[in-house]
Amino acid sequence: MKAVRAWFHRSFGLFGKRRSDAEFEAEMESHLRLHIEDNLRSGMTPEAARRDALIKLGGVEQTKETYRDRRGLPFLETLLQDLRFALRMLRKSPGFTFVAILTLALGIGGNTAVFSVMNTVLLRYLPLPNPQQLVFLSLPNGPPEGLSTTGDDDKSFSYPVFEALRKEHAVFSDLMAYMPLAVDKVAVRSGEDPEEAEGDMVSGNFFSGLGVSFARGRGFALEDETAHTSVVVLSYSYWTTRFGRSPSAIGQTIYVKGVPFSVIGVTAQGFYGVEPGSSTDFWIPLQNRPELSAWGEEPSLIAFYGSPKWWCIQLIGRLVPGVTESQALGKLDPVFQSAAFIGLGTPEPKAKKSNLAFSSTQGIQDLREGYEKPIQILLAMVGLVLAIACANVSMLLVARNAARAREFSVRIALGAGRGRLLRQTLTESFLLVAGGAVIGWMFAISGSQALAASSGVEIPFELDSRVLLFTLAISISCVLVFGLAPLRRAVSVPVGVTLKTSNATAYRDQKSSWSGKAVVASQMALCLILLVGSGLLVRSLRNYQTLPLGLRVDGLLVFGTDPFSVHSDEEKEHFYQNLLTRLRVAPGVESATLISHRLGSGWGWNSVWAIDGVEPQGPFSEIGMSANHVGPDFCHTLGIPILRGRDVTDADTRFAPKVVLVNETFSKRFFPKGDALGHTVTTISSTSVGKHKLENGFTIVGVIGDSKYKRVDEKPKPTLYFPFAQQTPIPNIQVELRTHGNPEALLPNVHAILHGLDPNLPIQKPMTQRAQFDESYSQARLFARLSIFFGVIAVLLVATGLYGTLAYRVGRRTSEIGVRMALGAQHGQVLWLVLRESLLVSVAAILAGVPVAIAGARLMRSMLFGVQPGDRISFLLALFGVILVALAASIIPARRAMRVDPITALRYE
Amino acid sequence: MNDKADVWQGTLALMILKTLETLGPLHGYGIARRIEQISGGVLSLNYGTVYPALLKLEQEGSIESQWGVSDNNRKAKYYKLTRVGHKQLERETQDWQQAQMILAKFLSATEPST
Repeated sequence: MKAVRAWFHRSFGLFGKRRSDAEFEAEMESHLRLHIEDNLRSGMTPEAARRDALIKLGGVEQTKETYRDRRGLPFLETLLQDLRFALRMLRKSPGFTFVAILTLALGIGGNTAVFSVMNTVLLRYLPLPNPQQLVFLSLPNGPPEGLSTTGDDDKSFSYPVFEALRKEHAVFSDLMAYMPLAVDKVAVRSGEDPEEAEGDMVSGNFFSGLGVSFARGRGFALEDETAHTSVVVLSYSYWTTRFGRSPSAIGQTIYVKGVPFSVIGVTAQGFYGVEPGSSTDFWIPLQNRPELSAWGEEPSLIAFYGSPKWWCIQLIGRLVPGVTESQALGKLDPVFQSAAFIGLGTPEPKAKKSNLAFSSTQGIQDLREGYEKPIQILLAMVGLVLAIACANVSMLLVARNAARAREFSVRIALGAGRGRLLRQTLTESFLLVAGGAVIGWMFAISGSQALAASSGVEIPFELDSRVLLFTLAISISCVLVFGLAPLRRAVSVPVGVTLKTSNATAYRDQKSSWSGKAVVASQMALCLILLVGSGLLVRSLRNYQTLPLGLRVDGLLVFGTDPFSVHSDEEKEHFYQNLLTRLRVAPGVESATLISHRLGSGWGWNSVWAIDGVEPQGPFSEIGMSANHVGPDFCHTLGIPILRGRDVTDADTRFAPKVVLVNETFSKRFFPKGDALGHTVTTISSTSVGKHKLENGFTIVGVIGDSKYKRVDEKPKPTLYFPFAQQTPIPNIQVELRTHGNPEALLPNVHAILHGLDPNLPIQKPMTQRAQFDESYSQARLFARLSIFFGVIAVLLVATGLYGTLAYRVGRRTSEIGVRMALGAQHGQVLWLVLRESLLVSVAAILAGVPVAIAGARLMRSMLFGVQPGDRISFLLALFGVILVALAASIIPARRAMRVDPITALRYE
Repeated sequence: MNDKADVWQGTLALMILKTLETLGPLHGYGIARRIEQISGGVLSLNYGTVYPALLKLEQEGSIESQWGVSDNNRKAKYYKLTRVGHKQLERETQDWQQAQMILAKFLSATEPST
C-alpha cells in the first residue's frame, strides 16, 4: 500500500517539475538561512557561519540530484525524454515517417484482417457464457432411411428424438432445438413495406439454455413453446436496421408470413444466433401451424415439426460441467437409437445405422473444410507482405541511421552509454510501429468488413481481443526486428572513424553493404513467391470466369417470391401464370420463365428416376440425376439450345399430358444409341423402407444442351426439367427474366407488378444470373482478388525498397563515380555499374525464390482450378514482373549516377 | 579518523519520525539538528540527506508538509506526522527493539551451554 502510494506520487512528480524544483530550491535556501542564523548566534563570523552551514549540508547539487531522482521516476522520465526526442526526429523527416508508417500499416493491417477471418471461421466460440460446453448434435452417417429430410440431413432430428434427448439431464443441462422458417429468408412486414428476414423457430429454453443476454425485454419461457405463443425476439442488428434501436419496438407487432407476432425482446449486441456463418434476424417459439412450417416446406402432413418422419429439428446442447463428450455420447446413443424409430416401425436389420455425434461450436464448421487451407495460405501470403514491409522499414532505418552516424558518434564521444542510444532508437521504432499498428488496425476494420461482405459469411469478422493480441504480438516482433537490426550497425561504428572522415566518404564497410543487398534480394525472392501465388490464383479465377455455362447468362435477371397466401396447387398455378403473363408484357422484358432451383445457387434437386419403368442400377455417382421445375419458354429465355424436340410451353398445364425435357448427358447416358424422345420417365416413390412403387409417367419431349446447374465448376450430370405446373405439390418458384439492357433496371417494374398481385410479397434476392453464378466461385474470386492486392503491395514495397537502397548507394558513391568519370569512364559504363548491382541482386533473388515458389505452389493445389501448380505462364509472368520491378527501381538512380558532374562530385571531398 | 558512525541504512526514516513525534511539526534543518544532538555528536550526518528521506516519507504518506514561519520569523517548510506516520513509527519502533533485544542476547551468550 505504502509502495503504491509512493509510486502514485512519484508518477505525479513527473509533471510540474519546474515548480517543485523551485520549491526545493526555496527549502534549501531557508535551511541555509536557519543554519547560518544559528551559527551567527553561537558567535561565528558571517563568513564562517555560511561556510559551516554549506559544509554541513553536503554537496548541494548532489542533494538536489538525489532529491530529483526520488521525486520522480527516473526511468519513466528518460522514457518520456526519449519519446519527445523521437517524435521530434520523426517530425523532422515527415517523408520517411509517412512511408515507414504506411508500409507498416499495410503489413500489420493485412495480417490483422486475414487473421480476423481465421479467428471467426476457425477459432472463435459463440459469444455466450462457457461456450466450450456447447455442442451441435449431428449424424455423421445421416438419418435412418425412408424419412423426409432437410438439406442439412446430417444434423437434423425428429421431434420425438428431441423430446427423448432433452430429458437426459445427467448429460445436458439444457438441450435447445431450432429450425429455420425457410431455406433462406421469409417474408416479414412490420410497417407498410414487406421485406425478407432470416427467422428461426426455437424451443422455449433456447435463450436461457444458451445463456443469451438481452439488450431489451426478455426471451422465451417453456410455456411459450408448449402454447405456441405469438411472440418474437429480435436480434440486435435487426433491431438496429429495422427499428433504429427504438425502445418502442417492444410490444410492436410484426407479421411473419402474414401471421402477427408481438416483439418481447432484443438480444444483446454480438449475438447472431447459432446457425453457423449466417445471422438470424428473429426467433419465434416452436409453432404448429401450416404457414410457419420448418424450412418453409409445403404445408402437408410431414411439414409439422411434430411428425416423426420429418427430420427437420437442429439441436444444440449444453453439456453438464465435467461430462466428457464420449461419456455423453455413451449415455445418449441408446436413447437416440430407440427414439429415432418412434413412429417409424422397427428398423430393418440390414439398414445402415445412424450414429449420434457431436460437432464443435468453435469457428464455423461448415466453412472450416473449405476455408482452412486457403486461410492458412492467405495468412502465409500476408506474412510475406509483412516480412517485406519490415525489411523495407528496416532498410530505411539503416540508411537513416547511417546518415545519423555522426550524431551517434558525437553522443558516444560525449559519454552517452550505448544502452541509452539503443533505447533511443528502440523508442523511435516503437513509435513507428505504434503508428503503423493504429493505422493498420483501421485498415483491418474496413478490410475485414470487405472480406466478410465478399465471403458470404453474414457474421461480421469481429476484431476481438484475440485479434488484438495477435496484432500486438506481430507489432512487438516488428519493433524488435528493425529496432535492433539497424542500430547494431550504428553503435558499433568506431567513434573516431566517423568523426574523422568527411561526410562524403563516410565510413562504409563491405559487410554491411552485403547485408543490404541480401535484404533486398530476399525481399525480391519473397515478392517472386507472392507473384507466383497470385498468378496461379488469378489464372484459376479466369478459368472459372471463362467456363462455358451452356446458356446465355448475360441479360438475365433472377428473383424469388414466396406466395405464402396461396395454398392449393390450383391457386398456385394460377398465381404463377398470372405473374408470368404480367411480366411478359412489362417494358424491357424480352421473355420470362420460371425455375424452382435457382441456377448457380448451389442448391439442387437430386434423385433417381426410372426410365421406361426400369429403375437404373448402380452407384448413385453413376445413375444419380438432377432435376428442376421450370416454366414455359425455359430454353428460349435462358438461351439453352434445343437439340431435338421442343421447349416447355404454356400448354403444359396441370391437366395436360405430363412431359419432361432432358439434357444431352441424360440422353447419351441412358440412350447411347437411340433417341430419348418419346420415352417415359417415372418417379420412384418410396412408400415404405425398401419398397418402391412406380407412379406418374412423364414423356420426354425435348433434348436440350447441357448447362450448368448448381455451380460453374460442376461436371455435366443427367438432368431432367419438369414443367412446374405438373408437379404436386407445386414448389415455390423463382422467376428468370431476359432483357436487352441492364437486368437490374427491370427491378422497379417487377416490384410494381408484385405489389399489384399481393402487397405482402417481397422480392427475394433479386440479382443478375451472372452474379448468381459468380457466387458459386466466390471463394476463388475472393482469394484471387486478395492475392492480387497483396501482390501489388509487395511489388510496390519491393520497388520502393530497391529504389531506396540503390539511390542511397549511388548517393554515397557520388565521389567515386565522379573520380571514375574524371578518369574517362563512359556514361554506359557508369550506367552498367548501377544496373549490374540490381541485376545481380535480382538473379540471386530468382535463384533463391523459384524453388520456394515451386514448393509453395504445390501447397496451393487445392485452391487451383484448371491450373497446374507448376504452371509455366504464372512463373514466367512472376519472373518478368520481378525483373521489371528491379529495372524500374534502378532507372532513376542509374540516370542520376550517369549525370554526376565530375567537378561537383570531386568538390565534395 | 573515522570515529563518527555513518547513519545506518533505513534508520534515518525512523529517527525522523521519532523526532517529529517528540517535537511536533518541524522544518528539515530542525530535524537534522535534533538527530545530530540526540546522538551526542556520534553520528555524522550530512544535513542534505534528510531531504530525500523526508520526500520519501511524504510520498508514502507518513508525513505531510506545509510552508510556515519559524520562531525567528523565517519562512520554512514544516513537516508533521500523519496518522499513518504514527502507526508506522509505532510498528518500526517495536521491530527495532525486538531486533536489538535478539542481537543483545546473541552477543552476550559468550559460552556454548553444554
